[in-house]
Amino acid sequence: MDILPSEEEQLLKNAAREFLEAEVSTALVREMELDENGYPPALWRQMADLGWLGLAIPEEYGGQGLPLTYLGLVMEELGRVLAPVPFHSTMTAALTVAESGTADQKRELLPAVCSGDMVMTWAVIERDPRLIPSAIAEQAQADGDVWVLNGVKMFVDNFNVARRCLVAVRTAPASDANEGISLFLVDPNGAGVSQTPLVTIAKDKQSRVSFDGVRVGSAELVGELHSGWPVAERMLERATAMVCCQMVGATRKDAELAIDYAKNRVAFGRPIAAFQSIQHMCADMLLFTDGAQLLTYEALWKMDRGMPAGVEVSQAKAFANEKCEAVVRQSQVIHGGIGFMMEFDLHLWLRRVSAWTMRLGTTFDHRAKIASALLDNPGKVRLGLPLPV
Amino acid sequence: MDFGYTPEQEALRREIQAFIAEHVTDDVLGELETAEEGGRGEHYRELVRKVAERQWIGISWPKEYGGQGGSRIEQYIVEEEFARAGVAVGGAGSGAPAILAAGTEEQKQHFIPGLINGEVIFALGFTEPQAGADLAGLQCRAVRDGDDYVINGQKMYTSAAHYATHVYLMARTDPDAPRHRGISIFLVPMDTPGITVRPLWTIQNDPPAPLGTTYGMARTNETFFEDVRVPADCLLGEENMGWYVGAMGLNLDRVGASRYLISVRRDEDIVNWVKENDFGGHSPADDPAVRDKLAELWTEAQVCRLMTMRSMSLVERGGNFTYEGSAEKVWAPEHGVHTTETITQILGPYAQLLSSSEEAIEDGIFAHNVMGAFQSGINHGSVQVMRDQMARRGLGMPRG
Repeated sequence: MDILPSEEEQLLKNAAREFLEAEVSTALVREMELDENGYPPALWRQMADLGWLGLAIPEEYGGQGLPLTYLGLVMEELGRVLAPVPFHSTMTAALTVAESGTADQKRELLPAVCSGDMVMTWAVIERDPRLIPSAIAEQAQADGDVWVLNGVKMFVDNFNVARRCLVAVRTAPASDANEGISLFLVDPNGAGVSQTPLVTIAKDKQSRVSFDGVRVGSAELVGELHSGWPVAERMLERATAMVCCQMVGATRKDAELAIDYAKNRVAFGRPIAAFQSIQHMCADMLLFTDGAQLLTYEALWKMDRGMPAGVEVSQAKAFANEKCEAVVRQSQVIHGGIGFMMEFDLHLWLRRVSAWTMRLGTTFDHRAKIASALLDNPGKVRLGLPLPV
Repeated sequence: MDFGYTPEQEALRREIQAFIAEHVTDDVLGELETAEEGGRGEHYRELVRKVAERQWIGISWPKEYGGQGGSRIEQYIVEEEFARAGVAVGGAGSGAPAILAAGTEEQKQHFIPGLINGEVIFALGFTEPQAGADLAGLQCRAVRDGDDYVINGQKMYTSAAHYATHVYLMARTDPDAPRHRGISIFLVPMDTPGITVRPLWTIQNDPPAPLGTTYGMARTNETFFEDVRVPADCLLGEENMGWYVGAMGLNLDRVGASRYLISVRRDEDIVNWVKENDFGGHSPADDPAVRDKLAELWTEAQVCRLMTMRSMSLVERGGNFTYEGSAEKVWAPEHGVHTTETITQILGPYAQLLSSSEEAIEDGIFAHNVMGAFQSGINHGSVQVMRDQMARRGLGMPRG
C-alpha cells in the first residue's frame, strides 16, 4: 500500500503539465468557446503524437495499453488547463469499443483514435436525465438485417465533430433476462441524423440529437443484443471517474488562483491572505480538493484491477459535485467583484467545474447508489472492506 | 498508486483478529469499562503480556529495541484491529516515535522494550491551565541544579496519570529565550516524590460511556509538580529543543489508525443498526432522506480513511508532512461530529438514552458520543490551529 502516484505515474503527470501549460492558454480556451468545432485540430494532433489518445488502448491497436490511473492523471492535467479538446467523449466511447467491440470494430476505429483521426462520442440520456435503463425509451426496430433508430438524445458531447457516436437504444422491453438495451455505433453524418447545439454554462459543445429512421447495420452492434446495459454501465463508470479527474485538476488550479490572489491583494493594510478567515477558507478548499482526488484515485485503482468500483465512483462524483463546486465558489468569494468580470479568467474554471457537477450523475443519484449498496444487502459493513453483496 | 495490502499483511490482520476473538474476553472488556482502575486490571495486564509475546506493539520499531522492524502499514493494521476491539494496547502515543528520533541509546534501550511489554505507560504532560491550544505559552518550570532538574508546575488533562509509570512532560527550561526555544521534554517517573495526581471527572462519568465511545473516558486528571527532583538523564533530546521533539511526536500521533477510527466507528454502527433494527415496523433505512445522508457520511468517512493512508504512504516513503497530518486532524474530527449529530436526527428521542437507561440503543453509545465527539477536534491540536498550519505550511500564507 502506497497511495501516492508511483514514479512512472508522476513522470507522466509532470510531462503532461509541462506540455499543457505551454500549449493551452486561457486565450485559446476563450477562442474555442466561440469556435464552431470547439477544439484546435493542431493540439489534438500533438496529443496523438504524444501517445495520449492511445494511452489506455491496447497495444495491438496502436495504443500503449496502460492502466486507467495513467489516463486519469492526464485527464486531471487537461482539466487543470481546461483544455478544449474532445478527449473525454472520445475516450468514453473508444474504451468501450476496446472492451466490448467486435474485432472488426476495434480494427476500424481504435488505430484511428490513437492517430487522432477519429473523434468519438456517446449518447445515453433522453428526456429523463437519470443514467438508468428505464430512462431509455429510444427505439431501434429490426428491419431484416438492419436496425432502424427513432428518438432523441440529450447532452451529447462534441457530436458536431465526432465520426462515430455510441448510442444506447431500447431494442426490447426490460425482462428478467436483460434490460432490453443495445449499443450501436452510429455515423453522425448518416441519413436521418440531425443535431441542435445547446448553449451551456461551460460554453462547450453539447447537442440534442434526433434520430429519424436512421438505418444501422447489425455489424455496428457493440456488445450483445438486448444485453447492452452492463456494457453501458461500465462505460458510464469510466466516464464518471474521468470527469472526476477533470474536476479535481480544474478545481485545484482554481484554488491556487485564489490563494495567489489573496497573497497579493491588500486590504485593511495587509494582504488578505494574512486574515484567518481567508486562511481557513483556503484550508477547507485544500481539504475538499484532496478529498475528491483521493476518492477518484481509489476508484481508478479498483477499476484497473477489475474489482467492483461502482460505489467508489459514486463516492468520488457525489463528493466532487458538492466540494468542487464549493471550492470554485469560495474562490470567487476571495476574488471579490473582479471574479465576476468577463475579462478576468477565473470564470473559465467556475463555469466548467459547475457544469461538470451536473453531468454524469447528480449528488442525489450517486448517493442513492451508495445507499443501496450500504443498506439493501444483509450483512455488516466495515469501512475499508468491500460492502456485502 | 497502490491502495491494497500484501498477502502477508492480510494474513497478519487475520491472525490478530483470531487472537482478539480468543483473548479479548468479557473480563478484559469489563475492566476497561471501570474508570477507577483506568482500565488496567489483572485480566487486561495479562492480555498486554500476551500481545507483547507476539511483538505486535512496536511492530514498526527497530529490532535492536525489541520491535520487528516492520513498516508503518503493519503498525496500522495492529492498531486498527485492537482499536476496533476496544483495546488501546501499547500506550505508545507520541512517546515512542519521539524517543526513537531524539532519545539517547540508553533511553531507547530502556523505554522502547518497556513500551512493548506494557511495563512503561506514559501520561502526556503538555497542557496547562493557561496553555492549551497555545501550548508554547506553558509555564511549568524545570531548573537545572547540579546533576538534577527540579520541576515545579501544574499539568491539565493528564488522562493516564493515575496508572502511568512516567509522565512525558514539557517544561520551560529557559524563561528568557523566545517561547519556542526555551522548552524541554522530560521522561519523569510517576513515583518521584512531589507529584500529586487529582482526578477530574468528565461529563461521561455517570453513567459510564460504553467502550468505543468517541472520548468516552470518565476520568482525566490534573497533575501537580512540587519541587520534583529528577536526574538530568530524564531529559529527552537537547535542552531547550523540546518544542521540536514534541512536535515530531505529535505529528506522528495524529496519523495513526486509532486517531481516525474514533471518527468513523459510528458510521459503521448506525448503518449496521438500521439494517438490523426498526421502530415498530418503521425502518429509517427506508427513508430517502436518511439514505441520502448515510451515503454522504459514508463518503466522508472514506476520505478520513484515505487521508490516513496518504499520511502513512508519506511516512513510509520517508517524506515529511507539510500539511497532510493537519488536514487529517481537521477532516476526521469534524466528520465524527457530523455523523454523531446526524445520528441524533435519525434516531430521534432514542438518541438521548444513556448507557444505564432502559430502551437505550447500543448501550447508549450514540448518546454518549454527543458528549464526546467534539473533543476529538480539540485534543492534540484543535481544528482551528490545524487549519492555521494548513494555510501557513501547506499554502504558504503569511501570519496575521
